[in-house]
Amino acid sequence: MYRLTQIFPQKALGSFVVFLCASYLGIGGSATAQTSTDQLSGKLVITGASTLAPLISEIGKRFESLHPKVRVDVQTGGSSRGVADARQGLADIGMVSRAMKDEEKDLYAYPVARDGVGIILHKDNPVQALTDDQVVAIYMGKITNWKDVGGNDVPITVVNKAEGRSTLEVFLHYFKLKNTDVKAHVVIGDNEQGVKTVAGNRNAIGYVSIGTAEYDESQGVPIKLLPTGGVAASTETVRNSTFPMSRPLHIVTRTSPVELAKTFIDYAQSRAVHDIIKQQYFVPLVD
Amino acid sequence: MVEVATQQPNTREWLAFVLVWGSAVLVTATFCWLLGDIIWHGLSHLSWIFLTAPPENAGRRGGIGPILVSTFLILGVCLAVSLPIGIGTAVLLVEFTSDHSLFGRLTRRSLDVLAGVPSIVFGLFGNAFFCKTLGLGFSILSGGLTLACMVLPILIRSTEEGFRAVPSNYRLSAAALGLSRTTTLFHLLLPAAVPGLLVGLVLGVGRAIAETAALIFTSGYVDRMPESLLDSGRALSIHIFDLSMNVSGGDANAYASALVLIILLLIINGTVSWLATYGLHRKIVTV
Repeated sequence: MYRLTQIFPQKALGSFVVFLCASYLGIGGSATAQTSTDQLSGKLVITGASTLAPLISEIGKRFESLHPKVRVDVQTGGSSRGVADARQGLADIGMVSRAMKDEEKDLYAYPVARDGVGIILHKDNPVQALTDDQVVAIYMGKITNWKDVGGNDVPITVVNKAEGRSTLEVFLHYFKLKNTDVKAHVVIGDNEQGVKTVAGNRNAIGYVSIGTAEYDESQGVPIKLLPTGGVAASTETVRNSTFPMSRPLHIVTRTSPVELAKTFIDYAQSRAVHDIIKQQYFVPLVD
Repeated sequence: MVEVATQQPNTREWLAFVLVWGSAVLVTATFCWLLGDIIWHGLSHLSWIFLTAPPENAGRRGGIGPILVSTFLILGVCLAVSLPIGIGTAVLLVEFTSDHSLFGRLTRRSLDVLAGVPSIVFGLFGNAFFCKTLGLGFSILSGGLTLACMVLPILIRSTEEGFRAVPSNYRLSAAALGLSRTTTLFHLLLPAAVPGLLVGLVLGVGRAIAETAALIFTSGYVDRMPESLLDSGRALSIHIFDLSMNVSGGDANAYASALVLIILLLIINGTVSWLATYGLHRKIVTV
Protein backbone atom coordinates (compact mmCIF):
# COMPACT_ATOMS: atom_id res chain seq x y z
CA MET A 1 0.00 0.00 0.00
CA TYR A 2 1.00 3.62 -0.40
CA ARG A 3 1.73 6.04 2.39
CA LEU A 4 -0.23 9.25 2.76
CA THR A 5 2.83 11.36 2.01
CA GLN A 6 3.08 9.61 -1.33
CA ILE A 7 -0.38 10.75 -2.25
CA PHE A 8 -0.24 14.19 -0.66
CA PRO A 9 3.13 15.94 -0.58
CA GLN A 10 4.29 17.36 2.77
CA LYS A 11 3.40 20.91 1.75
CA ALA A 12 -0.26 20.14 1.13
CA LEU A 13 -0.59 18.36 4.49
CA GLY A 14 1.01 21.33 6.21
CA SER A 15 -1.34 23.86 4.69
CA PHE A 16 -4.34 21.74 5.65
CA VAL A 17 -3.17 21.72 9.28
CA VAL A 18 -2.78 25.53 9.10
CA PHE A 19 -6.33 25.78 7.73
CA LEU A 20 -7.68 23.70 10.61
CA CYS A 21 -5.82 25.81 13.18
CA ALA A 22 -7.02 29.04 11.60
CA SER A 23 -10.64 27.93 11.68
CA TYR A 24 -10.22 26.87 15.30
CA LEU A 25 -8.79 30.28 16.25
CA GLY A 26 -11.70 31.92 14.52
CA ILE A 27 -14.12 29.98 16.72
CA GLY A 28 -12.18 30.95 19.85
CA GLY A 29 -12.32 34.60 18.88
CA SER A 30 -16.08 34.86 18.69
CA ALA A 31 -16.62 33.41 22.12
CA THR A 32 -15.08 36.51 23.69
CA ALA A 33 -18.18 38.64 22.99
CA GLN A 34 -19.36 39.66 26.45
CA THR A 35 -21.82 42.10 27.91
CA SER A 36 -20.06 45.11 29.38
CA THR A 37 -21.49 47.08 32.27
CA ASP A 38 -21.57 50.60 30.87
CA GLN A 39 -22.98 49.99 27.42
CA LEU A 40 -25.19 47.28 25.96
CA SER A 41 -23.29 44.85 23.79
CA GLY A 42 -23.46 41.22 22.73
CA LYS A 43 -25.57 39.08 20.48
CA LEU A 44 -29.26 38.27 20.74
CA VAL A 45 -30.38 35.15 18.92
CA ILE A 46 -34.09 35.14 18.09
CA THR A 47 -35.78 32.21 16.32
CA GLY A 48 -39.32 31.14 15.49
CA ALA A 49 -42.39 32.09 13.48
CA SER A 50 -41.72 33.03 9.86
CA THR A 51 -44.66 35.46 10.09
CA LEU A 52 -42.81 37.43 12.75
CA ALA A 53 -39.30 37.10 11.33
CA PRO A 54 -39.38 40.10 8.94
CA LEU A 55 -40.97 42.31 11.64
CA ILE A 56 -38.50 41.37 14.37
CA SER A 57 -35.60 41.66 11.87
CA GLU A 58 -36.60 45.25 11.14
CA ILE A 59 -37.06 46.06 14.84
CA GLY A 60 -33.67 44.43 15.43
CA LYS A 61 -32.02 46.64 12.82
CA ARG A 62 -33.36 49.80 14.44
CA PHE A 63 -32.31 48.46 17.84
CA GLU A 64 -28.79 47.85 16.48
CA SER A 65 -28.61 51.42 15.22
CA LEU A 66 -29.49 52.64 18.75
CA HIS A 67 -26.99 50.27 20.41
CA PRO A 68 -24.09 49.90 17.96
CA LYS A 69 -22.37 47.12 19.92
CA VAL A 70 -25.44 44.88 19.85
CA ARG A 71 -26.15 42.28 17.18
CA VAL A 72 -29.67 40.91 16.78
CA ASP A 73 -29.71 37.67 14.78
CA VAL A 74 -33.18 36.61 13.64
CA GLN A 75 -33.73 33.05 12.34
CA THR A 76 -36.97 31.57 11.07
CA GLY A 77 -38.60 28.12 11.19
CA GLY A 78 -42.05 28.34 12.78
CA SER A 79 -43.67 29.02 16.15
CA SER A 80 -43.07 25.50 17.44
CA ARG A 81 -39.39 26.01 16.81
CA GLY A 82 -39.49 29.37 18.58
CA VAL A 83 -40.91 27.68 21.67
CA ALA A 84 -38.50 24.73 21.49
CA ASP A 85 -35.40 26.90 20.93
CA ALA A 86 -36.30 29.31 23.72
CA ARG A 87 -36.89 26.36 26.09
CA GLN A 88 -33.61 24.64 25.23
CA GLY A 89 -31.71 27.90 25.43
CA LEU A 90 -30.69 27.70 21.76
CA ALA A 91 -32.27 31.11 21.31
CA ASP A 92 -32.39 34.05 23.71
CA ILE A 93 -35.87 34.96 22.50
CA GLY A 94 -38.45 32.86 20.64
CA MET A 95 -41.09 34.18 18.23
CA VAL A 96 -44.59 32.71 18.52
CA SER A 97 -47.33 33.99 16.20
CA ARG A 98 -50.33 32.78 18.24
CA ALA A 99 -51.78 32.80 21.75
CA MET A 100 -49.67 30.85 24.21
CA LYS A 101 -50.87 27.35 25.02
CA ASP A 102 -51.45 26.04 28.54
CA GLU A 103 -48.40 23.78 28.39
CA GLU A 104 -46.28 26.80 27.47
CA LYS A 105 -46.98 28.66 30.71
CA ASP A 106 -43.37 28.01 31.74
CA LEU A 107 -42.27 30.64 29.22
CA TYR A 108 -42.43 34.41 29.69
CA ALA A 109 -44.51 35.75 26.80
CA TYR A 110 -44.65 39.37 25.60
CA PRO A 111 -47.19 40.40 22.94
CA VAL A 112 -45.78 42.81 20.34
CA ALA A 113 -48.61 43.07 17.79
CA ARG A 114 -51.82 41.47 16.50
CA ASP A 115 -52.61 39.73 13.25
CA GLY A 116 -55.97 38.63 11.88
CA VAL A 117 -56.53 35.51 9.79
CA GLY A 118 -59.04 36.04 7.00
CA ILE A 119 -60.69 33.72 4.50
CA ILE A 120 -59.86 34.59 0.91
CA LEU A 121 -61.46 33.70 -2.41
CA HIS A 122 -60.59 34.62 -5.97
CA LYS A 123 -61.99 38.05 -6.91
CA ASP A 124 -64.13 36.56 -9.71
CA ASN A 125 -65.86 34.10 -7.37
CA PRO A 126 -69.49 35.32 -7.05
CA VAL A 127 -69.76 34.11 -3.43
CA GLN A 128 -69.77 37.18 -1.15
CA ALA A 129 -70.01 35.59 2.29
CA LEU A 130 -69.88 32.20 3.95
CA THR A 131 -71.31 31.24 7.31
CA ASP A 132 -69.01 29.54 9.80
CA ASP A 133 -70.88 26.26 9.26
CA GLN A 134 -70.38 26.50 5.50
CA VAL A 135 -66.63 27.08 5.92
CA VAL A 136 -66.44 24.06 8.25
CA ALA A 137 -68.39 21.91 5.76
CA ILE A 138 -66.12 23.00 2.89
CA TYR A 139 -62.94 22.27 4.83
CA MET A 140 -64.29 18.88 6.00
CA GLY A 141 -65.12 17.93 2.43
CA LYS A 142 -68.90 17.85 2.97
CA ILE A 143 -69.49 20.68 0.49
CA THR A 144 -67.35 20.18 -2.60
CA ASN A 145 -69.05 22.40 -5.17
CA TRP A 146 -69.46 26.18 -5.14
CA LYS A 147 -73.09 25.86 -6.33
CA ASP A 148 -74.04 24.51 -2.87
CA VAL A 149 -73.13 27.84 -1.28
CA GLY A 150 -74.56 30.10 -3.97
CA GLY A 151 -71.69 30.08 -6.46
CA ASN A 152 -71.00 28.62 -9.89
CA ASP A 153 -71.22 24.92 -10.65
CA VAL A 154 -67.52 24.23 -10.19
CA PRO A 155 -65.61 22.09 -7.69
CA ILE A 156 -64.01 23.79 -4.70
CA THR A 157 -60.24 23.71 -4.29
CA VAL A 158 -59.48 23.70 -0.57
CA VAL A 159 -56.18 25.34 0.35
CA ASN A 160 -54.87 24.47 3.80
CA LYS A 161 -51.75 25.49 5.71
CA ALA A 162 -48.96 23.10 6.59
CA GLU A 163 -48.66 21.58 10.06
CA GLY A 164 -46.89 23.86 12.54
CA ARG A 165 -48.06 27.09 10.91
CA SER A 166 -49.75 29.42 13.36
CA THR A 167 -52.37 30.57 10.85
CA LEU A 168 -53.46 26.92 10.69
CA GLU A 169 -53.79 26.76 14.46
CA VAL A 170 -55.73 30.04 14.64
CA PHE A 171 -58.03 28.80 11.86
CA LEU A 172 -58.60 25.34 13.41
CA HIS A 173 -59.14 26.83 16.86
CA TYR A 174 -61.77 29.31 15.66
CA PHE A 175 -63.69 26.75 13.60
CA LYS A 176 -63.18 24.00 16.23
CA LEU A 177 -61.70 21.69 13.60
CA LYS A 178 -58.99 19.07 13.86
CA ASN A 179 -56.35 19.12 11.13
CA THR A 180 -57.03 15.44 10.43
CA ASP A 181 -60.65 16.39 9.58
CA VAL A 182 -59.55 18.81 6.88
CA LYS A 183 -59.77 17.48 3.33
CA ALA A 184 -57.26 19.74 1.65
CA HIS A 185 -56.35 19.73 -2.05
CA VAL A 186 -53.38 22.04 -1.66
CA VAL A 187 -51.18 22.43 1.41
CA ILE A 188 -49.10 25.60 1.55
CA GLY A 189 -46.59 27.26 3.87
CA ASP A 190 -46.32 31.03 3.98
CA ASN A 191 -49.04 33.66 3.64
CA GLU A 192 -47.80 35.02 0.34
CA GLN A 193 -47.89 31.49 -1.06
CA GLY A 194 -51.55 31.23 0.05
CA VAL A 195 -52.42 34.48 -1.70
CA LYS A 196 -50.67 33.34 -4.87
CA THR A 197 -52.41 29.97 -4.83
CA VAL A 198 -55.88 31.52 -4.53
CA ALA A 199 -55.10 34.30 -7.02
CA GLY A 200 -54.10 31.63 -9.52
CA ASN A 201 -57.19 29.45 -9.06
CA ARG A 202 -60.69 30.87 -9.46
CA ASN A 203 -62.24 28.00 -7.50
CA ALA A 204 -59.91 28.04 -4.50
CA ILE A 205 -60.64 28.95 -0.92
CA GLY A 206 -57.84 29.69 1.52
CA TYR A 207 -57.00 31.66 4.62
CA VAL A 208 -54.07 34.00 5.23
CA SER A 209 -52.91 36.84 7.45
CA ILE A 210 -55.28 39.79 6.93
CA GLY A 211 -52.43 42.31 6.70
CA THR A 212 -50.92 40.35 3.80
CA ALA A 213 -54.26 39.91 2.03
CA GLU A 214 -55.21 43.58 2.47
CA TYR A 215 -51.93 44.72 1.00
CA ASP A 216 -52.10 42.32 -1.95
CA GLU A 217 -55.72 43.31 -2.61
CA SER A 218 -54.69 46.98 -2.70
CA GLN A 219 -51.95 46.05 -5.18
CA GLY A 220 -54.51 44.59 -7.58
CA VAL A 221 -53.97 40.89 -6.82
CA PRO A 222 -57.31 39.21 -7.72
CA ILE A 223 -58.39 38.03 -4.27
CA LYS A 224 -61.04 39.15 -1.80
CA LEU A 225 -61.36 38.85 1.96
CA LEU A 226 -64.61 37.39 3.29
CA PRO A 227 -66.17 38.55 6.56
CA THR A 228 -65.99 36.05 9.41
CA GLY A 229 -68.74 35.76 12.03
CA GLY A 230 -70.43 38.74 10.37
CA VAL A 231 -67.44 41.02 10.94
CA ALA A 232 -65.55 42.47 7.98
CA ALA A 233 -61.94 41.31 7.81
CA SER A 234 -59.66 44.36 8.00
CA THR A 235 -56.73 45.62 10.05
CA GLU A 236 -59.21 48.05 11.67
CA THR A 237 -61.48 45.31 13.06
CA VAL A 238 -58.39 43.37 14.18
CA ARG A 239 -57.08 46.41 16.04
CA ASN A 240 -60.32 46.99 17.94
CA SER A 241 -60.54 43.22 18.60
CA THR A 242 -64.02 42.89 17.05
CA PHE A 243 -62.71 40.51 14.37
CA PRO A 244 -63.04 37.03 15.88
CA MET A 245 -60.33 35.11 14.03
CA SER A 246 -57.24 36.99 15.13
CA ARG A 247 -54.08 36.20 17.00
CA PRO A 248 -51.53 37.93 19.17
CA LEU A 249 -47.88 37.87 18.06
CA HIS A 250 -45.57 37.04 20.95
CA ILE A 251 -41.92 37.01 21.73
CA VAL A 252 -41.03 34.60 24.51
CA THR A 253 -38.13 33.88 26.86
CA ARG A 254 -37.35 30.94 29.12
CA THR A 255 -36.34 32.99 32.16
CA SER A 256 -37.37 36.45 33.21
CA PRO A 257 -35.37 38.61 30.77
CA VAL A 258 -32.49 40.73 32.01
CA GLU A 259 -30.17 43.32 30.49
CA LEU A 260 -29.96 42.99 26.71
CA ALA A 261 -33.03 40.76 26.22
CA LYS A 262 -35.10 42.95 28.58
CA THR A 263 -34.08 46.16 26.81
CA PHE A 264 -34.93 44.62 23.45
CA ILE A 265 -38.33 43.31 24.58
CA ASP A 266 -39.20 46.69 26.13
CA TYR A 267 -38.21 48.36 22.88
CA ALA A 268 -40.23 45.90 20.74
CA GLN A 269 -43.32 46.64 22.86
CA SER A 270 -42.82 50.40 22.77
CA ARG A 271 -44.55 53.02 20.63
CA ALA A 272 -41.23 53.64 18.86
CA VAL A 273 -41.72 50.57 16.66
CA HIS A 274 -45.38 51.11 15.70
CA ASP A 275 -44.39 52.45 12.29
CA ILE A 276 -42.41 49.25 11.62
CA ILE A 277 -45.35 47.09 12.73
CA LYS A 278 -47.69 48.93 10.33
CA GLN A 279 -45.07 48.74 7.57
CA GLN A 280 -45.11 44.93 7.89
CA TYR A 281 -48.96 44.91 7.68
CA PHE A 282 -49.55 43.94 11.29
CA VAL A 283 -51.63 45.78 13.84
CA PRO A 284 -49.99 47.54 16.84
CA LEU A 285 -51.54 46.63 20.19
CA VAL A 286 -52.35 50.13 21.42
CA ASP A 287 -52.80 53.22 19.32
CA MET B 1 -43.75 -4.22 -36.86
CA VAL B 2 -40.87 -4.57 -39.28
CA GLU B 3 -43.32 -4.83 -42.15
CA VAL B 4 -45.11 -1.71 -41.09
CA ALA B 5 -41.79 0.04 -40.73
CA THR B 6 -40.61 -0.88 -44.21
CA GLN B 7 -43.95 0.09 -45.68
CA GLN B 8 -44.07 3.53 -44.10
CA PRO B 9 -40.54 4.70 -43.54
CA ASN B 10 -41.56 8.29 -44.18
CA THR B 11 -44.23 8.35 -41.51
CA ARG B 12 -41.82 6.93 -38.98
CA GLU B 13 -39.09 9.33 -39.86
CA TRP B 14 -41.49 12.21 -39.77
CA LEU B 15 -42.69 11.12 -36.35
CA ALA B 16 -39.13 10.84 -35.02
CA PHE B 17 -38.32 14.23 -36.51
CA VAL B 18 -41.31 15.85 -34.80
CA LEU B 19 -40.56 14.14 -31.49
CA VAL B 20 -36.89 15.11 -31.42
CA TRP B 21 -37.44 18.67 -32.55
CA GLY B 22 -40.55 19.01 -30.41
CA SER B 23 -38.67 18.06 -27.25
CA ALA B 24 -35.80 20.36 -28.11
CA VAL B 25 -38.14 23.28 -28.80
CA LEU B 26 -40.15 22.57 -25.64
CA VAL B 27 -37.04 22.59 -23.44
CA THR B 28 -35.64 25.72 -25.06
CA ALA B 29 -38.99 27.48 -24.97
CA THR B 30 -39.48 26.71 -21.28
CA PHE B 31 -36.06 28.09 -20.49
CA CYS B 32 -36.60 31.19 -22.63
CA TRP B 33 -39.99 31.80 -21.06
CA LEU B 34 -38.55 31.49 -17.56
CA LEU B 35 -35.57 33.69 -18.38
CA GLY B 36 -37.75 36.20 -20.20
CA ASP B 37 -40.17 36.41 -17.29
CA ILE B 38 -37.35 37.04 -14.82
CA ILE B 39 -35.62 39.59 -17.05
CA TRP B 40 -38.93 41.35 -17.80
CA HIS B 41 -39.78 41.72 -14.11
CA GLY B 42 -36.30 42.03 -12.70
CA LEU B 43 -34.21 44.09 -15.08
CA SER B 44 -35.78 47.46 -14.24
CA HIS B 45 -34.85 47.02 -10.55
CA LEU B 46 -31.31 45.94 -11.26
CA SER B 47 -28.66 48.59 -10.67
CA TRP B 48 -25.27 49.05 -9.08
CA ILE B 49 -27.00 50.37 -5.96
CA PHE B 50 -29.21 47.26 -5.80
CA LEU B 51 -26.09 45.06 -5.91
CA THR B 52 -24.30 46.96 -3.14
CA ALA B 53 -26.93 48.41 -0.78
CA PRO B 54 -28.23 46.55 2.26
CA PRO B 55 -31.89 45.41 2.21
CA GLU B 56 -34.46 47.71 3.81
CA ASN B 57 -37.99 47.12 5.02
CA ALA B 58 -37.60 43.33 5.07
CA GLY B 59 -36.11 43.37 1.56
CA ARG B 60 -38.95 45.26 -0.16
CA ARG B 61 -36.61 48.19 -0.70
CA GLY B 62 -32.84 48.51 -0.70
CA GLY B 63 -30.49 46.03 -2.29
CA ILE B 64 -28.75 42.72 -1.76
CA GLY B 65 -25.15 43.76 -0.96
CA PRO B 66 -24.68 41.79 2.28
CA ILE B 67 -26.61 38.85 0.82
CA LEU B 68 -24.26 38.64 -2.17
CA VAL B 69 -21.24 38.72 0.17
CA SER B 70 -22.75 35.96 2.34
CA THR B 71 -23.53 33.86 -0.73
CA PHE B 72 -19.93 34.12 -1.98
CA LEU B 73 -18.54 33.31 1.47
CA ILE B 74 -20.79 30.24 1.83
CA LEU B 75 -19.79 29.07 -1.64
CA GLY B 76 -16.13 29.74 -0.84
CA VAL B 77 -16.25 27.66 2.34
CA CYS B 78 -18.09 24.92 0.48
CA LEU B 79 -15.49 24.73 -2.31
CA ALA B 80 -12.47 25.13 -0.02
CA VAL B 81 -13.62 22.07 1.91
CA SER B 82 -15.19 19.92 -0.79
CA LEU B 83 -12.54 20.29 -3.54
CA PRO B 84 -9.56 18.80 -1.62
CA ILE B 85 -11.68 16.08 0.00
CA GLY B 86 -13.47 15.34 -3.26
CA ILE B 87 -10.31 15.05 -5.36
CA GLY B 88 -8.61 13.06 -2.60
CA THR B 89 -11.43 10.56 -2.39
CA ALA B 90 -11.64 10.22 -6.16
CA VAL B 91 -7.88 9.57 -6.36
CA LEU B 92 -8.14 6.98 -3.62
CA LEU B 93 -11.08 5.24 -5.29
CA VAL B 94 -9.57 5.08 -8.77
CA GLU B 95 -5.82 4.88 -8.29
CA PHE B 96 -5.33 3.25 -4.92
CA THR B 97 -8.17 0.77 -4.46
CA SER B 98 -9.24 -2.10 -6.66
CA ASP B 99 -12.59 -1.69 -8.42
CA HIS B 100 -13.95 -4.82 -6.85
CA SER B 101 -12.74 -4.36 -3.30
CA LEU B 102 -15.41 -4.19 -0.61
CA PHE B 103 -14.21 -0.75 0.48
CA GLY B 104 -14.45 0.68 -3.02
CA ARG B 105 -17.90 -0.74 -3.66
CA LEU B 106 -19.24 0.39 -0.29
CA THR B 107 -17.88 3.90 -0.75
CA ARG B 108 -19.37 4.21 -4.23
CA ARG B 109 -22.73 2.85 -3.11
CA SER B 110 -22.91 5.26 -0.18
CA LEU B 111 -21.93 8.17 -2.41
CA ASP B 112 -24.71 7.30 -4.85
CA VAL B 113 -27.21 7.14 -2.01
CA LEU B 114 -25.96 10.46 -0.62
CA ALA B 115 -26.25 12.10 -4.05
CA GLY B 116 -29.97 11.30 -4.06
CA VAL B 117 -30.72 12.53 -0.54
CA PRO B 118 -33.05 15.58 -0.51
CA SER B 119 -31.33 18.80 0.50
CA ILE B 120 -33.60 19.40 3.51
CA VAL B 121 -32.12 16.24 5.05
CA PHE B 122 -28.65 17.75 4.66
CA GLY B 123 -30.03 20.93 6.21
CA LEU B 124 -31.33 19.12 9.28
CA PHE B 125 -28.08 17.15 9.56
CA GLY B 126 -26.05 20.36 9.26
CA ASN B 127 -28.22 22.04 11.89
CA ALA B 128 -27.81 19.13 14.29
CA PHE B 129 -24.11 18.47 13.66
CA PHE B 130 -22.39 21.73 12.69
CA CYS B 131 -24.68 24.23 14.46
CA LYS B 132 -25.38 22.31 17.66
CA THR B 133 -22.86 19.48 18.20
CA LEU B 134 -19.84 21.43 16.96
CA GLY B 135 -21.25 24.65 18.40
CA LEU B 136 -20.76 26.71 15.23
CA GLY B 137 -24.29 28.10 15.57
CA PHE B 138 -26.10 29.72 12.66
CA SER B 139 -23.07 30.72 10.65
CA ILE B 140 -21.66 30.96 7.17
CA LEU B 141 -19.19 28.25 8.22
CA SER B 142 -22.03 25.86 9.15
CA GLY B 143 -23.81 26.62 5.88
CA GLY B 144 -20.68 26.16 3.77
CA LEU B 145 -19.81 22.87 5.48
CA THR B 146 -23.37 21.57 5.02
CA LEU B 147 -23.23 22.47 1.33
CA ALA B 148 -19.85 20.75 1.10
CA CYS B 149 -21.42 17.53 2.39
CA MET B 150 -24.16 17.96 -0.18
CA VAL B 151 -21.96 18.53 -3.24
CA LEU B 152 -19.23 16.02 -2.29
CA PRO B 153 -20.99 12.96 -3.80
CA ILE B 154 -21.47 14.74 -7.16
CA LEU B 155 -17.94 16.08 -7.11
CA ILE B 156 -16.32 12.75 -6.20
CA ARG B 157 -18.30 10.71 -8.72
CA SER B 158 -17.59 12.99 -11.67
CA THR B 159 -13.92 13.44 -10.75
CA GLU B 160 -13.74 9.66 -10.51
CA GLU B 161 -15.15 9.43 -14.04
CA GLY B 162 -12.49 11.93 -15.09
CA PHE B 163 -9.74 9.69 -13.72
CA ARG B 164 -11.26 6.60 -15.30
CA ALA B 165 -11.27 8.34 -18.69
CA VAL B 166 -7.45 8.52 -18.53
CA PRO B 167 -6.19 5.49 -20.54
CA SER B 168 -4.22 2.98 -18.48
CA ASN B 169 -1.44 3.30 -21.07
CA TYR B 170 -0.56 6.58 -19.37
CA ARG B 171 -0.09 4.88 -16.02
CA LEU B 172 1.88 1.99 -17.54
CA SER B 173 4.13 4.31 -19.53
CA ALA B 174 4.76 6.45 -16.46
CA ALA B 175 5.65 3.34 -14.47
CA ALA B 176 7.92 2.15 -17.27
CA LEU B 177 9.71 5.49 -17.21
CA GLY B 178 10.34 5.01 -13.51
CA LEU B 179 8.12 7.92 -12.37
CA SER B 180 6.88 7.67 -8.81
CA ARG B 181 3.14 7.33 -8.15
CA THR B 182 3.09 10.86 -6.72
CA THR B 183 4.73 12.37 -9.79
CA THR B 184 2.42 10.40 -12.06
CA LEU B 185 -0.59 11.64 -10.07
CA PHE B 186 0.28 15.33 -9.99
CA HIS B 187 1.86 15.72 -13.40
CA LEU B 188 -0.11 13.29 -15.49
CA LEU B 189 -3.33 11.96 -14.01
CA LEU B 190 -4.66 15.10 -12.30
CA PRO B 191 -4.26 17.35 -15.37
CA ALA B 192 -5.75 14.63 -17.54
CA ALA B 193 -8.73 14.24 -15.20
CA VAL B 194 -9.48 17.98 -15.11
CA PRO B 195 -12.45 17.82 -17.54
CA GLY B 196 -14.28 15.38 -15.24
CA LEU B 197 -13.45 17.54 -12.24
CA LEU B 198 -14.81 20.64 -13.97
CA VAL B 199 -18.08 18.89 -14.83
CA GLY B 200 -18.43 17.99 -11.16
CA LEU B 201 -17.56 21.55 -10.19
CA VAL B 202 -20.23 23.06 -12.45
CA LEU B 203 -22.89 20.64 -11.18
CA GLY B 204 -21.81 21.11 -7.56
CA VAL B 205 -21.67 24.90 -7.69
CA GLY B 206 -25.01 24.96 -9.47
CA ARG B 207 -26.59 22.85 -6.78
CA ALA B 208 -24.92 24.82 -3.99
CA ILE B 209 -25.75 28.33 -5.18
CA ALA B 210 -29.40 27.47 -5.78
CA GLU B 211 -29.79 25.82 -2.39
CA THR B 212 -32.47 27.00 0.02
CA ALA B 213 -33.55 24.13 2.25
CA ALA B 214 -30.06 23.12 3.40
CA LEU B 215 -29.15 26.70 4.25
CA ILE B 216 -32.17 28.10 6.07
CA PHE B 217 -31.33 26.03 9.17
CA THR B 218 -27.55 26.37 8.94
CA SER B 219 -26.35 29.70 7.58
CA GLY B 220 -29.61 31.34 8.55
CA TYR B 221 -31.75 34.34 7.85
CA VAL B 222 -29.71 37.34 9.01
CA ASP B 223 -29.34 39.90 6.21
CA ARG B 224 -26.64 42.04 7.85
CA MET B 225 -23.15 42.33 6.28
CA PRO B 226 -21.21 39.36 7.72
CA GLU B 227 -18.16 40.30 9.80
CA SER B 228 -16.69 36.80 10.04
CA LEU B 229 -17.36 33.26 8.92
CA LEU B 230 -19.07 32.69 12.26
CA ASP B 231 -21.77 35.26 11.56
CA SER B 232 -25.11 34.16 10.22
CA GLY B 233 -25.57 35.24 6.62
CA ARG B 234 -28.58 34.97 4.31
CA ALA B 235 -27.91 33.30 0.98
CA LEU B 236 -29.37 34.71 -2.24
CA SER B 237 -31.75 31.79 -2.77
CA ILE B 238 -33.18 32.14 0.76
CA HIS B 239 -33.63 35.86 0.14
CA ILE B 240 -35.59 35.13 -3.03
CA PHE B 241 -37.69 32.52 -1.23
CA ASP B 242 -38.45 34.85 1.68
CA LEU B 243 -39.29 37.82 -0.57
CA SER B 244 -41.62 35.83 -2.78
CA MET B 245 -43.27 33.63 -0.16
CA ASN B 246 -43.14 35.45 3.18
CA VAL B 247 -42.95 39.19 2.51
CA SER B 248 -45.94 40.84 0.85
CA GLY B 249 -44.79 43.35 -1.73
CA GLY B 250 -41.37 41.74 -2.07
CA ASP B 251 -41.95 40.43 -5.59
CA ALA B 252 -40.09 43.14 -7.50
CA ASN B 253 -36.89 42.66 -5.51
CA ALA B 254 -37.37 38.89 -5.59
CA TYR B 255 -37.32 39.01 -9.39
CA ALA B 256 -34.26 41.26 -9.44
CA SER B 257 -32.48 38.91 -7.00
CA ALA B 258 -33.43 35.91 -9.12
CA LEU B 259 -31.96 37.66 -12.16
CA VAL B 260 -28.73 38.25 -10.23
CA LEU B 261 -28.64 34.56 -9.28
CA ILE B 262 -29.06 33.47 -12.89
CA ILE B 263 -26.39 35.90 -14.10
CA LEU B 264 -24.06 34.58 -11.38
CA LEU B 265 -24.66 31.00 -12.51
CA LEU B 266 -24.00 31.93 -16.14
CA ILE B 267 -20.77 33.71 -15.17
CA ILE B 268 -19.57 30.75 -13.08
CA ASN B 269 -20.42 28.19 -15.75
CA GLY B 270 -18.87 30.40 -18.43
CA THR B 271 -15.66 30.80 -16.44
CA VAL B 272 -15.40 27.07 -15.82
CA SER B 273 -15.87 26.14 -19.46
CA TRP B 274 -13.41 28.86 -20.49
CA LEU B 275 -10.95 27.36 -18.02
CA ALA B 276 -11.57 23.93 -19.46
CA THR B 277 -10.91 25.11 -23.01
CA TYR B 278 -8.19 27.74 -22.80
CA GLY B 279 -7.10 28.40 -19.26
CA LEU B 280 -5.26 25.21 -18.43
CA HIS B 281 -1.81 25.14 -19.94
CA ARG B 282 -1.16 21.65 -18.75
CA LYS B 283 -4.31 20.26 -20.25
CA ILE B 284 -3.80 16.82 -21.72
CA VAL B 285 -6.04 15.63 -24.51
CA THR B 286 -7.10 12.11 -23.62
CA VAL B 287 -8.79 11.18 -26.85
